[in-house]
Amino acid sequence: MRLTAFLLPLLGTPRASLASQQAHQPPLLQTTVTLLVAPSQQLPNPNSLPPSTRATLSALNKPYSSAPITLDNTFVFHNVTPGSYLADVSSVTHAFAPLRLDVVRDADENGEGLTVRAWETFRGNEWGNKGEDMVRVVGKGGVQGGKVVEVRCLGWKGFYLERSKFSVLSIFKNPIILLSLVSMGLFFGMPKLVENMDPEMRAEWEENQKKNPMNALMGAASGQPAANPMANFDMAAYLAGSGKKEDGNGKKKR
Amino acid sequence: MRRATTLLAGLLAILPAAAVYQDEVGHIDYHYTLLGVPQRETTFFHRPRRDDRASLLYTLSDEGVLGAVNPGTGAVVWRQQLSRSKNTPNEQEEEEKGQQGFARAGEGENWVVTGYGDTVSAWDAVGGRNKFWTRYAGKIKDLEVMELTEVEGRKDVLVLSEEDSGATVLRRLNGANGKVVWEFRDSGKDVPLQVSTDVAKVFVVSLRGSRGAYNLKVSSLDTLNGKRLDEWIIGTKADVHGKEDVQLVGANSAAPIVAWTDDAHKVLRVNVLGLQTRQEFPLPEGTVGVEVHAPHLVQSQPHFLVHSKTATGHRGEVYHVDLKNGQISKAYDLPLLPGPGAFSTSSNGANVYFTRITQDEAILVSSQSHGVLGRWPLKNEDTKAAAVHAVAEVIKKSGSTDNFAIRAAVVTDADEWTLVQNGNVAWTRPEGLSGGVAAAFAEISESEELARTLEQEAHANPLAAYIHRVQRHIHDLQYLPAYLSAIPARVISSLTGADVVPTAGGKLQRDSFGFHKLIILATKRGMVYGLDSGNFGTAVWNQRAFKIPRGSKWDVKGIHVQEATGETTIVGANNDFVTLKTDTGEIIDAKAPSGEATTQSAALVNTASGQRLLRIDHVGSIGNLPVDQAPKQTVVTQVSDEDLKGVIFVADGDTSYETTAWTFSLPKGQKIANIATRPPHDAVASIGRVLGDRTVKYKYLNPNAIVVAAANAGARTLTVYLLDGVSGQILHSAKYNGVDASKSIECAMAENWFVCTFFGQYSLRENAAQSLRGYQIVVSDLYESDEPNNRGPLGDSANFSSLAPIDNPDGVALPSVVSQSFVLGAPISALEVSQTRQGITSRQVLAYLPDSHGIAGIPRIILEPRRPVGRDPTPGELEEGLVKYFPAVEIDPKSIITHERDVLGIKKIVTAPAVVESTSLVFAYGVDIFGTRVTPSYLFDILGKGFNKASLVGTVLACLVGVLMLAPMVRRKQINLRWSAPM
Repeated sequence: MRLTAFLLPLLGTPRASLASQQAHQPPLLQTTVTLLVAPSQQLPNPNSLPPSTRATLSALNKPYSSAPITLDNTFVFHNVTPGSYLADVSSVTHAFAPLRLDVVRDADENGEGLTVRAWETFRGNEWGNKGEDMVRVVGKGGVQGGKVVEVRCLGWKGFYLERSKFSVLSIFKNPIILLSLVSMGLFFGMPKLVENMDPEMRAEWEENQKKNPMNALMGAASGQPAANPMANFDMAAYLAGSGKKEDGNGKKKR
Repeated sequence: MRRATTLLAGLLAILPAAAVYQDEVGHIDYHYTLLGVPQRETTFFHRPRRDDRASLLYTLSDEGVLGAVNPGTGAVVWRQQLSRSKNTPNEQEEEEKGQQGFARAGEGENWVVTGYGDTVSAWDAVGGRNKFWTRYAGKIKDLEVMELTEVEGRKDVLVLSEEDSGATVLRRLNGANGKVVWEFRDSGKDVPLQVSTDVAKVFVVSLRGSRGAYNLKVSSLDTLNGKRLDEWIIGTKADVHGKEDVQLVGANSAAPIVAWTDDAHKVLRVNVLGLQTRQEFPLPEGTVGVEVHAPHLVQSQPHFLVHSKTATGHRGEVYHVDLKNGQISKAYDLPLLPGPGAFSTSSNGANVYFTRITQDEAILVSSQSHGVLGRWPLKNEDTKAAAVHAVAEVIKKSGSTDNFAIRAAVVTDADEWTLVQNGNVAWTRPEGLSGGVAAAFAEISESEELARTLEQEAHANPLAAYIHRVQRHIHDLQYLPAYLSAIPARVISSLTGADVVPTAGGKLQRDSFGFHKLIILATKRGMVYGLDSGNFGTAVWNQRAFKIPRGSKWDVKGIHVQEATGETTIVGANNDFVTLKTDTGEIIDAKAPSGEATTQSAALVNTASGQRLLRIDHVGSIGNLPVDQAPKQTVVTQVSDEDLKGVIFVADGDTSYETTAWTFSLPKGQKIANIATRPPHDAVASIGRVLGDRTVKYKYLNPNAIVVAAANAGARTLTVYLLDGVSGQILHSAKYNGVDASKSIECAMAENWFVCTFFGQYSLRENAAQSLRGYQIVVSDLYESDEPNNRGPLGDSANFSSLAPIDNPDGVALPSVVSQSFVLGAPISALEVSQTRQGITSRQVLAYLPDSHGIAGIPRIILEPRRPVGRDPTPGELEEGLVKYFPAVEIDPKSIITHERDVLGIKKIVTAPAVVESTSLVFAYGVDIFGTRVTPSYLFDILGKGFNKASLVGTVLACLVGVLMLAPMVRRKQINLRWSAPM
């Protein structure tokens, strides 16, 4: 009775399915992969990540594999078979960069051991396009010689739109409003200034005004006929879309 | 450079999203953070910190969600969904079937350990983070915490699992890191039941024998090395009917027992583990069910309570175990009380207390004697709810000897979870809303009386109608004072932005924006709820349609709301149906589920007698129907995984005979992964798309088009077919290589386009050296012809026919298809397209993100197949809103309509149009309930919260003041102008 009980597990092994072999016959072709969320500028305190944070490894025709975040801010995947995986970390509050994670046979130890290599990858880009190597050696706490794959936090997720707030000051911050205020000041202030001048100075000033080339431009506004090219602008013709170019060219030639 | 591309793609995703404003949170959306209905064996109070007296309430629910609840407030502290171990919904459903979860906590430990499916996990009891997790072959059958180990201060975990080969495996895991301490393996074909432990030994209880006649087999193992010490069979007669009958209680206690009853519930047989004998106790007459309750602590006295339920009442018997000789003796009886009730055990050192919750009181007794220690009448307004099971915490108040305080978390038969504290209801969690299997939006019926009087007026002669109307208006005057008195409150609330809930006398009313709708939700436990979408999803009514036995689920195949009659019909798989009144939930007609699942699906069809839900059986046939119930259209049914057929009905006399119009068989190896059709309400505002150069591309709008996604698991391909449902003609097909059929493949269709999502890993066609992998979404637009301003073979004809297609040298007029694929930032599921009243608003593809627990609204403008590839858009294209194509579509947080909420386990999303064109109502169900309003083209037709009414009023007032001040000045100036001398 005892003997059979002792033998049975031994006999059971070859017959058992591959899955059960994987379970109690450790690591021939499997390894454990640990992803680590280290403190960074984007995420100073990884302990603040919600417990629903999970990491997934996906590859074609490999079973779905997902690991929850642990107390040490790691994600531990057991029984990972050789292959090239896409590793994603998903959290409600933060975004993380996707990784390419390769589990390859070790060349050294007669092909028995497995090595984990990981790089940053870029969605929508070629799979061979690898970024920074993300395998890190940590002092302690990590598995397999303290090697972990570090995940890079991209930042905090901002879910909300800001409402534009109405404020009187914001109106005056607008440069156009400021410009128009200045010109309004000129428009109202100038005549007053001119009125207050003594007659001689005023006559002199008006004489200067006439000589000033800038006045040519202002001429239309002040009601003086001048050689303003825009004065002859034919609005109706422009709107009709006919002869606009020739007209303009002709004027320029003249 | 690469970084730049990704960055740009990310930026692009941000541009056109219609996001949530912070002040709208909790205003337009609502969310029920649910766990599922707690199970008796996996619910307990536990102190997460050894030194802290505060305890949390833990449960592993029937939805496979482990959660910690604050017993003071009823708020969820943390949750973990254990049931999501597979990626495809089908597989997951398969796995959930008959799935049993286990949750235990070691006394004084800061972790909770769970077993679900094939995974053992330990969780931090305070924060809910993972401590360790491991996965073993086979299914976990039981899990227990070993309170006493050889290492001081460490508690280990015993996991019993059954492998596919039938072998029983017991593992002892180190409670600190999850490593296997030892493993015990028994390759016999016994059915493993439970594991238990006392101070010295570990017991494995299994069933030996054949179905219906089992014997209990107990193996005792050494706690240190897992070697088998002994093995015996209890009793000689095979008297155990099935594993459901056996209850094992009091693991870790001084005397763990195993108890089972006979078929007729006449005798209770009890074995104290470690002994080879069993003892029999007669059960009261008319017992229909038995539960045994015992403490879990070594130091507690070895007492247990037998709770026997009869059809009309329940009673309890308390037994004591003599530790010296294993003799069980009856201590006392708790009297039979009418109605259902629940017992729970609490231990406090050596003292064991039993709490009894009946319909109107909570009674506390000690296991020593039948003297009542405390009695609290339940102050519960809702007297209907009866306790199904409960867990209680008993606190002995210091000072007096007989002063106790209890709080008990009670699961009621209305699927609610209530905490009763000294007789007062502290909180109630509507856990019954979890486990939704079908939902539909229904209009709130307008006041019938008004409709009737209006109709009456329309039919009467003008004078009588006029008099009637005047009378009605005079009658309505009585509501005027109430209306007038409500005006100030309305004005103030509209200025401050508070919500006005239009309820007249507690009755539901439509609102002018159409945000108030009823959501009819059916859950897997046979409950039907009516929720008000405009009032934060509060339950207007709930109704139990059927009593669904524990472990099975109500498999709903179709739900249909008949607006004209105000009735809702729900059709289930087991030849069952229920018809309810939409506004009250009153059952009009029902047929209980039969034992056999006969219905594969239910289709909504138009018949001579109105719209009906039609049952389709497993081979895709419907059967002959009476003429008035026969569908007028072609019904497309699924014959098997590989075949579809179109069925029409031919009338002959009173009967319509089912005739196959066409069949569609997939090539060998392909299996149907998903089918999508256009939603019943799919308003199309324009039949064409105006391009940047003012030409028009005409949309291919075939109401009968069906998208069939067929996956070939062997060849790793996905083929998407577009079929015409009337003729069975293939309109379009596309094949994708490197698609994983074991991961979720889903499609959705609306208007003239469809999307499919899958996991792909393949080499590019242009350059085989380049490969790509990730979750993808493919969007295809259908147009009538390749060229703009050209309707192709259809020409100027207003109608087209599937059966008599326009002659064309190449055969049937096929749509011109433009497709583009994108790599998604995360897997998505439960695809649904937003719906608005007239379809003018642009669309959003709503999808659940199973990994980050949110719902994303991906704007259609991003999923646009006409985005220019490899070049910048021309001004014309920019005018159309087309941006340069980037292969990656990151899920922008601003497009997540659930924002910060952790929405768990969404299985399906339903949408409905509101009255205002800009808005689509969204409701998502599964484990959690979430509802919101989405505005894909922003809120353009009503004033949202962003409209500052106070500043508007302020501006008007300021203008008024200005006018009042300026008016005298202007008048003075005018007078001066007239009277002053000319200058």
